[in-house]
Amino acid sequence: MEILNVVWTFFKIGIISFGGGWSIVGIIKSEVVPRWLDEAGFRSLVAIAQSTPGPIALNAATLIGWDQGGFLGAIAATLSVVAFPMMAIAAAGWLGPKIPLKKTALDEALRTGSMAMMLMTLWALRPDSADPVLLGLGVLAFVFAAFTKLNSLWAILGAGAINAAFGPFLRGLFGIAP
Amino acid sequence: MNSARDTAKNAPTALRLFGLFAGISAVTIGGGYAIVPVIGNALEKRGWMDEKEFYDLFARAQAFPGPLALTTAVLCSIKLAGFRGAVAAFLGVIVPPFFALILVGSLLGRFGSLPAVRRFLDGAGATVPGLVAAMVWRNAKKRKWTAFRAVSTIALAVALALLPGMSMPILLGGILLLYVSEAAWKS
Repeated sequence: MEILNVVWTFFKIGIISFGGGWSIVGIIKSEVVPRWLDEAGFRSLVAIAQSTPGPIALNAATLIGWDQGGFLGAIAATLSVVAFPMMAIAAAGWLGPKIPLKKTALDEALRTGSMAMMLMTLWALRPDSADPVLLGLGVLAFVFAAFTKLNSLWAILGAGAINAAFGPFLRGLFGIAP
Repeated sequence: MNSARDTAKNAPTALRLFGLFAGISAVTIGGGYAIVPVIGNALEKRGWMDEKEFYDLFARAQAFPGPLALTTAVLCSIKLAGFRGAVAAFLGVIVPPFFALILVGSLLGRFGSLPAVRRFLDGAGATVPGLVAAMVWRNAKKRKWTAFRAVSTIALAVALALLPGMSMPILLGGILLLYVSEAAWKS
């Protein structure tokens, strides 16, 4: 019953999914590669999760659950990643006012934590191939996302389309067999 | 605001909250920071919540684990319509992406081995390091850096990268230590 492992893994990921979106991706990768996906498969999964509606951790859970356990697997994995966050909100509703927390200190601690998670994600997802076309698309995506206000969806779809249509031709220019 | 909230014609019922969040969730691509302002505008336009109240709840949502769009929607809906509202918002946020992903997953199952599709996925995947680097860049520029924060960020990142199997204890312990130090610093 591999799907039970998927559910347990994503439940644990849900506990530490602080800081929104990209921060958690490196940790997801360390949990699912190479168990359920290979390196390239994970990169495509992240690109798909980021160019479809919905939070990235949730989308990753849905796709891996679907892969490992079909429709019911997808439902179970999706619910498992949000189970702990929802319990935390419910618990805070009961206990919240009774716990004296220093708000700014907590915010700063979480910011430092999520910045560290982002750096770990960057390290885990550093370019893994020497292919000049793929490296070039990565650099273009950085410039696009760091210096324009456009939605990164367009960088993802554009890079996919460029590589699908012109990849073999471009590699021919660099003298690499397509 | 309260007068609008009290008129039955426009009250934030569970069904309306479900519809609102399902609509937003189905069409907004690009994660928490893209979707949160859309939620804020929609709630304000309906007269259910003003901007200040919304951003207070958004700030609180950031202290919880979980996708920001989801935690923000649920916290707002608890305030507007209690437990039923929270369940409605929860389903509204997660159901549309779920079916979108099932659709994509089954299309990939069928067409994923075609060479052009493989090249498309490789090209799309190649943007990932660039997009993560851009995210790091933007957040690093915004951060109010101190020597303590810089050193602890790097120490935590190195620990996470070296011991990926221990990410939960490292993060939970690290955030607790950081909280204690930040709190001691202030006082």
